[in-house]
Amino acid sequence: MSELSQLAQLINELKLAEVKSLASKMIEEGASAQDILVQCQEGMAEIGRRFDQGECFIPELVVAGKIMEAVMKDLEPLLKEAAATAEGSGAVVMGTVMNDVHDIGKDIVVMMLRGSGFRVIDLGVNVSPEKFVEAVKDNNPAVIGMSVLLTTCYQSISKTVEAIQQAGLRDHVSIMLGGAAATEILAQKTGCDFYGKTAMDAVVYASQRSKAA
Amino acid sequence: MSGDMEQIYNERLKRYVAAMRNEKPDRIPIRPLAAEFCAAYAGYTCQQVTHDLDYAFDAVLKCCADFDWDAAVSNMVFVWTGSVDAINLKYYTKPGIDTPADSCFQYLEPKDDDAHMKEDEYDALIEDPTGYLANVWMPRVSRDVQPIGEPSTYRNNLAWLKGGMSVLQYFQRLGEQGARMKNETGTVSAIAGCLKSPFDIIADKLRGYRGLCMDLFTQPEKVLKAVDALAPHMMFNALAGADPDKNVPITIWMHRGCVPFLSLEQFERFYWPSLKAIVEEIWSQGHQILFYAEGDWNENLKYFAELPEQSIIFHVDKSDLFKAHEILGEKFCLSGGIPNELIAMGTPEEVKDYCKKVIDAAAQDGGFIMDAAAIMQDDAKIENVKAMTEFTREYGVY
Repeated sequence: MSELSQLAQLINELKLAEVKSLASKMIEEGASAQDILVQCQEGMAEIGRRFDQGECFIPELVVAGKIMEAVMKDLEPLLKEAAATAEGSGAVVMGTVMNDVHDIGKDIVVMMLRGSGFRVIDLGVNVSPEKFVEAVKDNNPAVIGMSVLLTTCYQSISKTVEAIQQAGLRDHVSIMLGGAAATEILAQKTGCDFYGKTAMDAVVYASQRSKAA
Repeated sequence: MSGDMEQIYNERLKRYVAAMRNEKPDRIPIRPLAAEFCAAYAGYTCQQVTHDLDYAFDAVLKCCADFDWDAAVSNMVFVWTGSVDAINLKYYTKPGIDTPADSCFQYLEPKDDDAHMKEDEYDALIEDPTGYLANVWMPRVSRDVQPIGEPSTYRNNLAWLKGGMSVLQYFQRLGEQGARMKNETGTVSAIAGCLKSPFDIIADKLRGYRGLCMDLFTQPEKVLKAVDALAPHMMFNALAGADPDKNVPITIWMHRGCVPFLSLEQFERFYWPSLKAIVEEIWSQGHQILFYAEGDWNENLKYFAELPEQSIIFHVDKSDLFKAHEILGEKFCLSGGIPNELIAMGTPEEVKDYCKKVIDAAAQDGGFIMDAAAIMQDDAKIENVKAMTEFTREYGVY
């Protein structure tokens, strides 16, 4: 692994105040918002790597996400093309399935995907199959991610997969499933392509599919 | 109660209690934590059983009459919208109103900026938890309760009155339901008394999980003090509803303590010390605790092994049942472990095969109670619940 920049390292160490002041200083000194964002994403990627290795856990991901949110507030006005972020990025449509209103897990995945450079279309909670289909049509993502916490919403997953199939989009998009109620068996039975146990599984899968697309 | 029914009840109680004490009964007891499944079985919607206790209790009684279960929860649909409406509570979705009638109630986690407790309110909570809940928290979670200092309204006054009455009414009805289960179906009311870990209460109902995650880094000492301040209240609440005969356990509903919601280091510091002390105290008073360990607790099992022998029954949701048996089986009874997705989407044969695997590996020496991994909702297929019940009856004889 190449050495982290100072900014990336501060993110990795979850130093909110220091990250904000260094980012402001870099802006004042003329660094491009794009460069700062890329460095932030390196920091997020390092946290993701540590999460994968069992060296840090969801509380650290949440704090890192909060830091990214704070930095993005300063950067967004400067980023002319928010959509064109890091190299190799693509679009991912995310949502919690119909009749399920839980968002913690989905929000963490959204945060990690954004932190890794993806353009994420977050449809929120209680998302109908039709809404997923519409978002796929509008954004042409390589991947959609469904989150499910309730065992009773299994059918919402199958219905969404069916709706995507019926809209003729199934071959254009990979479907990943995650959330407390999700399992490998469930992903298979509902016709999804991938089950992700952790937020980082989602990031790795989305990266692979985006490159393949 | 007829003599036959009394005999059936006594046999079931003996079997259930023996297993919970990690002993070997005559056969494996069956104790499904069946919630909206009962509604589906009885032909009611989720809305009906969530809003009307008559439907909720009737659905459970129908299941108890038709399935050979040793114990069942008298009403596992634990949110009654009667109480929700009495104080105009904001944080539950109501089936039939906010979501379709055939979907279950859900907890609405507020956005971070709108948490029920603000980040600078720890001192007030620590100083006087009950006062904080009544004066600060209630006006935020209820649309009718007025904040302190605001003019009172008739809605405010009625919210407190109706809220108190609804809780009294609910628990009185719950007692009657337990008696009906016993007298009419010979089924044991499986649990009594509710416990939450102080950390989970702060994560769920006060700061929100994400807010609390931030606090772990920005004000850890205050989190620790708040956990300690809440512990006696959690314990009091649990014991107030416990079984006076000390047969059936208090239940703790745990979810945000396991890896990766917390690291083991965070668990050791923020979650476990207060909870361990509560469990030890409750056990010293003779009550067991059913650990409904929602999610995957594999990494945390070694801590539970520190608890006094028989003090808990460990319920397996997504934890590895075989690993749990290895680490905890000597000291404690285990329950659950049959995957809900299998019960919802599998075939009776698949369910039976899984039950066999579980019984062979974890129930040979007693100390096991058959159940699904998580609370069963209306997606559980009737034929699969039947398969789990009937197979366990046949194959689970010692």
